[in-house]
Amino acid sequence: MSLGILPSRSAALEQVDSLSLPTKRDEAWRYAPHKTLGQLTFGPAASTDAALADIDSQIPQLDGPLLVVVNGVVDAGRSRLGALPDGVSLVSLADAADEAADVLERVHEEADDAFSVINRAYGTGGAVIQISGQQSETIHIVDVAVPGAEQNASSSRVVIDVAAGSSAVIVETRIGSGDSFGGSNVRTEISLAADASLEHIILQDLPATQIHLGRVDVVQAANSTLRARLFNLGSDYGRVAYYVHLTDEGAHADLSGLYFGFGEQTLDQQITVVHGAPNCTSRQSYRGVLDDSSTGVWNGGVDVRVGADGTDSEQSNDNLLLSRKAEINTMPRLEILADEVSCQHGATVGQLDEEALYYMRSRGIPAEEASRLLINGFADQMMDDLESDTVRAWITERLGHANV
Amino acid sequence: MLHVEKLTASIGDTPILKGLDLAVGAGEVHAIMGPNGSGKSTFAHALAGRDGYEIGGTVTLDGADLLEMEPEARAAAGVFMGFQYPVEIPGVNNMYFLRTAVNSVRRTLGEDEIGARDFLKVAEQAMELVEMKKDFLYRSVNAGFSGGEKKRNEILQMAVMQPRLAVLDETDSGLDIDALRVVAKGVNSLRGPERSMIVITHYQRLLDYIKPDFVHVLVEGKIVESGDHTLALHLEENGYAGFVNHDLDDAPLSGASA
Repeated sequence: MSLGILPSRSAALEQVDSLSLPTKRDEAWRYAPHKTLGQLTFGPAASTDAALADIDSQIPQLDGPLLVVVNGVVDAGRSRLGALPDGVSLVSLADAADEAADVLERVHEEADDAFSVINRAYGTGGAVIQISGQQSETIHIVDVAVPGAEQNASSSRVVIDVAAGSSAVIVETRIGSGDSFGGSNVRTEISLAADASLEHIILQDLPATQIHLGRVDVVQAANSTLRARLFNLGSDYGRVAYYVHLTDEGAHADLSGLYFGFGEQTLDQQITVVHGAPNCTSRQSYRGVLDDSSTGVWNGGVDVRVGADGTDSEQSNDNLLLSRKAEINTMPRLEILADEVSCQHGATVGQLDEEALYYMRSRGIPAEEASRLLINGFADQMMDDLESDTVRAWITERLGHANV
Repeated sequence: MLHVEKLTASIGDTPILKGLDLAVGAGEVHAIMGPNGSGKSTFAHALAGRDGYEIGGTVTLDGADLLEMEPEARAAAGVFMGFQYPVEIPGVNNMYFLRTAVNSVRRTLGEDEIGARDFLKVAEQAMELVEMKKDFLYRSVNAGFSGGEKKRNEILQMAVMQPRLAVLDETDSGLDIDALRVVAKGVNSLRGPERSMIVITHYQRLLDYIKPDFVHVLVEGKIVESGDHTLALHLEENGYAGFVNHDLDDAPLSGASA
């Protein structure tokens, strides 16, 4: 790194040896597999020379700029950074250090946890994306975890800055390779200037032997719009936490997601939206489908600060349990310290509608296919507003059904 | 065609059908009328194969034992039931649902599946029959449909499935007179020498539009009287009181628009 060690990084490196990992008593980590989290081994990023299977079959094939990070190190050979559109700056985090030090040193209001400290200490690779103007090409960041013998887990960062009045669509696909234990720790930091707009999609699809720890910190200025879409599909424990701060009047955050668990998976979504200014709006809309012995966690909070009058927020979390051993823990949280506030929340947990199954079977559709149609119908509604057909097709393919 | 002998159905310890006999020949339209709670809907669901009933007796369609079959197998054998309360299926596109239904039956029968383009033509003809707008096909099945739209969607499905036996359960309930006319037109146009129908209704009104060959009166789980369409007119005038042993706390038959 040309700038040398950033101040925050050296502080993190000092802390990293004495960190205590989250426990069951930490509300945001209550359903995490604490024992296996302790078996993740992190360290300074180093290029892997492990033979990497073809990753193209694991990711959506988007046409725009592509940056591939393998074990925390940018893989220039697999990336596609030539001929970037005007107004798009997409560089490896290591190269960006000089001119973007202020961006990389941004301090977030939400407290660090052990894994965000680890990320700051070791996450020296990743992407810095700076957007100005209206960008139509989807920017794609791919993070690949390849557990090694020395260390089984990797850290990387994605830093996104969208200038005033600008807009973009950014997809982060997170995958892994191999069938041994390990995982990835990815931190995304997003800043939206006034009137900026971003559709940010995370496709989490690591192997079921791995752990994914994602954290997304967002700061939004006046009248900016965030559309955050999470498809939390892979990993033994797949976690993505969002901390969204609406700091100026008229900001709008629209977060939604789908988690689809099988086997012994635990899929954990932690969302906090802070209304720090008047007349901001936020939406949280998440759906879960849980089969076998899988567990879903949805912990969605709205924090309305003093003075954030005129806040308008809605939260919903709907779940479909396909097995008696599947489990969902859904927790809407509200803290309201302002006036003239409208905050609605609702959660549902259900099973497949027997009446609908009978109706479909009476039309000749076999029971198994009728179930699949119902499940897909429930899940597909979370993809309706995606900008990219390629992303939508990738998800439907991943969920094992052709696009209708 | 359809032979029903000594059909019984109960839920837990509560008997609902108590030995129902009925024979429906090819091309015939039979109306089944009866007061609330007489077992009309249970009879329809017993034919379609709904779970949750203890069933006895025999039901054969073209010699095949229907009672042994799962609902989807009955559909493949040619049974179609028009639901009194069509089910809403959010997220499942009507067109895709219809084509999946038709192709599931074709697969079971060992026939080639029908492609999207050819199916669209079939669907469009059926849409015309029930006077539906095209966007209907691309909405979720019954989700947010009005009562009349749901019933028209049932007839649309029937037109596309071309069943051997159609069982229409209270298809007239919840319909205004215009919707009733459209639904009846659809049903009448699907009458044919190879297709039999059982039209279940509480009110005679529907039978002004769909003229049955036979009318049966179902009371307390049994057919107590059979006749031609004039039986329905008799019921219209006199109600079901003459067929039951106790007072009916039932809605009047004439002028009702349930």
